[in-house]
Amino acid sequence: MAPADVAEPVYLDALGPRGPYRTRVPDTVTDVSGAEVARLSLVPPVYVDRALAALRKAGPVPADGLDALLAAAAEEFATGTVGGLGVREYEYLVSRTSGTPLTVVRDATRGTARFVARARASAEQGRPRGTVRERPDPSLGAGHAVWARRDEVFAVNASGNHPGVHRLWLEALALGYRVAVRPSRREPFTPHRLVGALHRAGVGQDRLALLPTDHRTARTLIRGADRAVVYGGDDVVAEYAHDARVLPQGPGRTKILVTADTDWREHLDTIVASVADEAGTACVNATAVLVEGDPAPLAEALAARLSRLPGLPPQDTRAVLPVCPLDRALAVDSYLRSVAAGTRPWLGGDGVVDDLGDGSAVLRPAVHQVADAGAPQLGTELPFPCVWVAPWSRTDGIAPLRGTLVLSVLSRDRALLDTLVAEPSIANVYAGDHPTYWMAPGVPHDGYLSDFLMRGKAVVGIE
Amino acid sequence: MMYDSPAVLDAGPSDGVDPDEFVRAAVRWHFDPETGSRYWLDRAERLAFDPRRDVKGVDDLALFPDLSDELRQVPVADLIPRGYGGGARLLNVFDSGGTTGAPKRVVQLDDWMRHSTAQVDRRLREHGLPVGAQWLTVAPTGPHLVGDVLQRAAASLGGPGLSIDMDPRWVRKLIATGRGDEVESYTDHLVEQCRRILLTQDIGVLAATTPLLERFAREEDLLERINGSVRAIVWGGTHMDPDTRHLLATEVFPEVPLIGMYGNTMMLTALLERAGLDASQPCVFDPVSPYVFLSVVDPATGEPVAVGERGQVIVSHVSKSMLIPHNAERDTAVRVRPAGAHAGDAVADVAPVPTVKGETVIEGVY
Repeated sequence: MAPADVAEPVYLDALGPRGPYRTRVPDTVTDVSGAEVARLSLVPPVYVDRALAALRKAGPVPADGLDALLAAAAEEFATGTVGGLGVREYEYLVSRTSGTPLTVVRDATRGTARFVARARASAEQGRPRGTVRERPDPSLGAGHAVWARRDEVFAVNASGNHPGVHRLWLEALALGYRVAVRPSRREPFTPHRLVGALHRAGVGQDRLALLPTDHRTARTLIRGADRAVVYGGDDVVAEYAHDARVLPQGPGRTKILVTADTDWREHLDTIVASVADEAGTACVNATAVLVEGDPAPLAEALAARLSRLPGLPPQDTRAVLPVCPLDRALAVDSYLRSVAAGTRPWLGGDGVVDDLGDGSAVLRPAVHQVADAGAPQLGTELPFPCVWVAPWSRTDGIAPLRGTLVLSVLSRDRALLDTLVAEPSIANVYAGDHPTYWMAPGVPHDGYLSDFLMRGKAVVGIE
Repeated sequence: MMYDSPAVLDAGPSDGVDPDEFVRAAVRWHFDPETGSRYWLDRAERLAFDPRRDVKGVDDLALFPDLSDELRQVPVADLIPRGYGGGARLLNVFDSGGTTGAPKRVVQLDDWMRHSTAQVDRRLREHGLPVGAQWLTVAPTGPHLVGDVLQRAAASLGGPGLSIDMDPRWVRKLIATGRGDEVESYTDHLVEQCRRILLTQDIGVLAATTPLLERFAREEDLLERINGSVRAIVWGGTHMDPDTRHLLATEVFPEVPLIGMYGNTMMLTALLERAGLDASQPCVFDPVSPYVFLSVVDPATGEPVAVGERGQVIVSHVSKSMLIPHNAERDTAVRVRPAGAHAGDAVADVAPVPTVKGETVIEGVY
């Protein structure tokens, strides 16, 4: 007999302008072992078109009372029962489907709630100082600028690697955009919960929609919205690189640089955390560590620390490493071996797959030392703690550090830091003992989102 | 000179002939050295069985391998049965869409056109389509069968047909090369042409492809006009998933009956949705005895799937003018028992298979 607590699968309906919508044959969401845990309604293109039309027709979320509304939504997200799921059930399902350790998911719940509550103030941080928020202020004189939306409807084509990707679009909502979120089919729970929480807090269903779609209909969504943020790999970045309406969010290629004037041993905790916290799945996890001088001792110490991390199912509260279906783990492992050819393995050289025996596997950390700072491996970002350690010298210059989301620099060289801050292809520079994954509301992650959504508009003669 | 043929071979769709007898007579006709086409007479030597002896009825059409790939090269004159002599009236040569490679070619003779139009006409009347209303058809014409079927259907119901052409091959090429913006522009161009007609003419029947209907859903003025004056919408050409069908029927065009049409070049006609079902029920297409037989099989084994199960659609066209047996379509569908006395399977919820022989199937506006 089946135990009494075997529940029906969870239904994740689309959340459209006219309420929840369940398709005739919902798609199956499976956990890392391949077991069905939920059914997700993927809407067809005509539904997307009609939802976008309804969003376009609705006005912005009123600015009055917005902070209170966001605070209520944050509380609901962090503690409420949304879409029939309590927060513990929600976190369990995220962990089991995305393979992200439960503690990481729990931290993300609190972190996301913090970002939700402060989304308006956070967006406000990006406002140019020459502009005023809404109506021209008579005290400013004859001519001035207001901060105005470039468009009306914003679409999010989300990824499922980390629940934290759903912190950014709250700012668009706070800026008056109507928002349509297309969840990852692998981890649709977080956006479903967040959109549901915002609806319950009072955001109109015609101002914020959750539109799960297949890959092809996602294009209908991106094309039909005024502006979109799209998460994905290098292929996605290339596809949308020349579309001014689309903000691609690609691999982070986050790095750490240690110069000779700094003893890395004092910062080993930070370096290990940068590689492995968040289970190594985020774009802000370090992919490469560059060391002025001999990199071998650092690689050895890093490998020693990472080798101690336990391999456990994701829902185990002691789990710290990512889990995925076994066949995917084997594919990742095989890819890593082909990329790593010719490097010096300190950890994971004989494989990174830790089979849990239920159809899923832990991806164990990997540390490889490459011959020089120009090694192509430094650009390979994989969804687990996988780091390339390279020697760096002054003659290499900053070329190996380009194309980086977060660069943590352990150095006292002020001139070098200034050069790195000035380098356009490095999005963020953290100097000193700060892990690469550090983030806070109001501090830009990859520029202010408002740079993409808003502009200063000169307004003259309106009192 | 004309050769005598059994009377059963000239049967119309309302004559109620025995499908097995018809198939037997047709196969004899196509493989008799006196009456068969050059293509089938040449091909017979390389078949593993004797069609004239072994095909005793509809089920034996499964003896044939799928030879439709050969229609990509066969000279079309070689497809016309010799039995027509000098009296063969060739109306059209139609191409398949070329979704899965080079187009396949079929011929349409006058007698088959009459039978095809009669069966489409009959099914449309079962749906209560207005007689004498003006039609707007937005469909591929030229070498494509669907536009011709719709124009003839309009004429048969006494409706003058206005039409907008579309070129599905160009759209597929644009999609294959990632030029989504140009697909969008082309679709806008089609919608603009339709708008001029819909807003100035009294259109009673709209026939269009699924993507065009989806695209109309964005145009407030067209929706108002269509819901206000159009009395039936016939959709076809591409697939329509059940959710899209339900949304179009209940939210986009709530005032207008939506009637599905499933056909393709190898079928040489189109099947109309079974009448009397609403949008929350599956969209069922019945075969049309004795000319078009469907079966739904497991693509791995070729064995029929159980009624209610999904499988690959196999289509046979049998007429005096053409024989295209056992053609494995690029579609999947749920196997359903056919209505009335039709032989073979009916199909429900037709959907595309993702790949055919390794080539990605790409659908555009058509």
